[in-house]
Amino acid sequence: MDFTNYFSRQEIERVHEASLEILEKIGLLVRNQKARDYFARGGCSVDASTGLVKLPRRVVESCRQSYPPTYTFTARDPKFDRTIPGDRPIVVTGSSAPNIIDPVTGEERRATSGDIANIAYLFNELPGFDVFSISTLADDAPAGMFSLSRFYPALKNCLKPVRSNTPAISDLEQVLDLGSTIAGSKEAYYERPFINHHYCPVVSPLTMDVESTESVVYLTEKGLPVYGTVVPNAGMTSPMSLMGTLALGNAEFLALSTLIQLIRPGAPLIYAVLSTVADMRSGNYAPGAIETGILQMAHTEMARYYNVPSGGYIGLTNAHSNDAQSGYETGMNVTAALLAGADLFNMGGLLSSLMAFDFAKMVIDNEISMMLKRIKRGMEFSEENLCLDLIAKVGPGGSYMDEKHTLKNMRTAAVLPKVATREMRGRWEDEGRPDAHARALKEAKRILSKENPAKFPAELDKKLRAHFPGLVPGDARWYE
Amino acid sequence: MIKDIYDAVIEMEQERVESLVKEEIAAGGDVSKILNEGLIAAMDEVGRLFAEGEFFVPEMLQAAHAMKAGLDVLKPHLAKGDSGNKGTIVIGTVKGDLHDIGKNLVAMMLEGAGFQVIDLGVDVDADKFLAAAAEKQADIICMSALLTTTMPGMEALIKTVREQGLSYKTMVGGAPVTPAYARKIGADGYGEDAPGAVETARGLLSA
Repeated sequence: MDFTNYFSRQEIERVHEASLEILEKIGLLVRNQKARDYFARGGCSVDASTGLVKLPRRVVESCRQSYPPTYTFTARDPKFDRTIPGDRPIVVTGSSAPNIIDPVTGEERRATSGDIANIAYLFNELPGFDVFSISTLADDAPAGMFSLSRFYPALKNCLKPVRSNTPAISDLEQVLDLGSTIAGSKEAYYERPFINHHYCPVVSPLTMDVESTESVVYLTEKGLPVYGTVVPNAGMTSPMSLMGTLALGNAEFLALSTLIQLIRPGAPLIYAVLSTVADMRSGNYAPGAIETGILQMAHTEMARYYNVPSGGYIGLTNAHSNDAQSGYETGMNVTAALLAGADLFNMGGLLSSLMAFDFAKMVIDNEISMMLKRIKRGMEFSEENLCLDLIAKVGPGGSYMDEKHTLKNMRTAAVLPKVATREMRGRWEDEGRPDAHARALKEAKRILSKENPAKFPAELDKKLRAHFPGLVPGDARWYE
Repeated sequence: MIKDIYDAVIEMEQERVESLVKEEIAAGGDVSKILNEGLIAAMDEVGRLFAEGEFFVPEMLQAAHAMKAGLDVLKPHLAKGDSGNKGTIVIGTVKGDLHDIGKNLVAMMLEGAGFQVIDLGVDVDADKFLAAAAEKQADIICMSALLTTTMPGMEALIKTVREQGLSYKTMVGGAPVTPAYARKIGADGYGEDAPGAVETARGLLSA
């Protein structure tokens, strides 16, 4: 499959040049001391009084030589490991929403560690999803256990790669301790680090923060998996022009990648973005806008030029329920990104611009993910698949319905949706006219009403609970 | 073993069903047991698997082919009236209508469900329906239409059946046909889709 391109080679090189110019002439405000030191040692000019770092083109270009072309997400169970671009598209949940739509009352409320356990279990069961970025925060977290109360229920109920962030180094160290305890030893954990870290250390425009940057430095030094997403917002934190936002966001990606390569040349990275527009009628954030997809396409084109995997938060929605808006915002943006060659899609489960998790949205997004993966699989050109013998055998006016060939292919040739209806209207009316939301919620309930077969063995759980006294229960259980 | 015949039908192995039925007859097996506990019980299970979404339409059709192959071997040995036939259905698209994809699917599914199906094809007028029904001693006449312009053909035939006091049940279906229309023209049954048509046919004949 050829990817969709907006730019000529010359235009791509011009964007790259523009980003280099931004980094060299304007520079970045770097608030983290360790990062400033790495930049200084790497040959950048650092103004100690203001924290402004200017990155000469030769530093950026030389660091670019050590960008590796692949990135691997490690899972507790190796069969769920995913590497991009080879396994593209990999589909990730949207993460860290403070709220959840309660599946029983339909009302928005604060999310808890119990919700995370349920979401992790559902995630593990839904075949379209690859990486569990912990969907919500945990409002019931005991003091001093903010991140443990998220990672423990997530890891306990999910064998696929788990990804998230931590607000401070103390939390990060607790989470790594959790990983080592699960693995049996620190050595075993470092062998297969199944917690995948993610931060947004660059605050647009052109600023690196203290805490997230500290975590990126810490993890990169240790050789643990981490990547960042850059998030310019046109009209607010970047120019109200898609080209200007691309050039700025691209500069921010290069700055972060330069830092990572200066710390450890060859450290894996993803060109991940959430470049958006703000709605100038209100100033509101609009991740569901089609421009998010357009910008993702352009960033992915830049990533292809740099030969690194790409993707980001793509397929988000501003809608507050599983209505048509939610479907078309997610559907159009991810399709555009896929056709442009994006590898990674943070798209699952969130409504209201990343503010609230919804079980039905997650099941619907699973279905969208299956559709995306089917687009990627494509037509499967082959002589055999042309079926000339079969077409001759059935001839004019026959039926393929009772051919063995149909039987052999019917479960794999087409996506078999659980949410989308293909019933006739009469049957749908008999069922009480369920919409996509109702059907998806029913599917979530069906899955979560069973016992999770993938949770921690009792012995391991006992060990963990002794190691971290006061830990939340972290067990999946449906709400009724 | 009758259980093997049952399994072979569910596994859609036509040739194996044939040879197993032959073996069982040669070994002096009870033909009515072969029919009821082997072939028919297997198709009931196939129907259950289909209703649960486990089996897809092509699987049901292949299983029906396997069942029918076994039945053909068995037939000469069966006592009269013990045919394994759940009912005889005459089916076709009505006069002026050449659209038969839905009708074909319904015919195949009815056959799969154990009915004897006489498919008259497309563009069938009332006389042809009635002649075939009389000849085959049909239980049900099934009519399909895709065009709103051809739908009145259904009403005309049903009217004839009523007026002549014929015993055939009538069933209608097709994209523009609604349950309300079916009631209005006095049809005995309505098929929403192919599985629905099978349910309706079963219901009409068990009543």
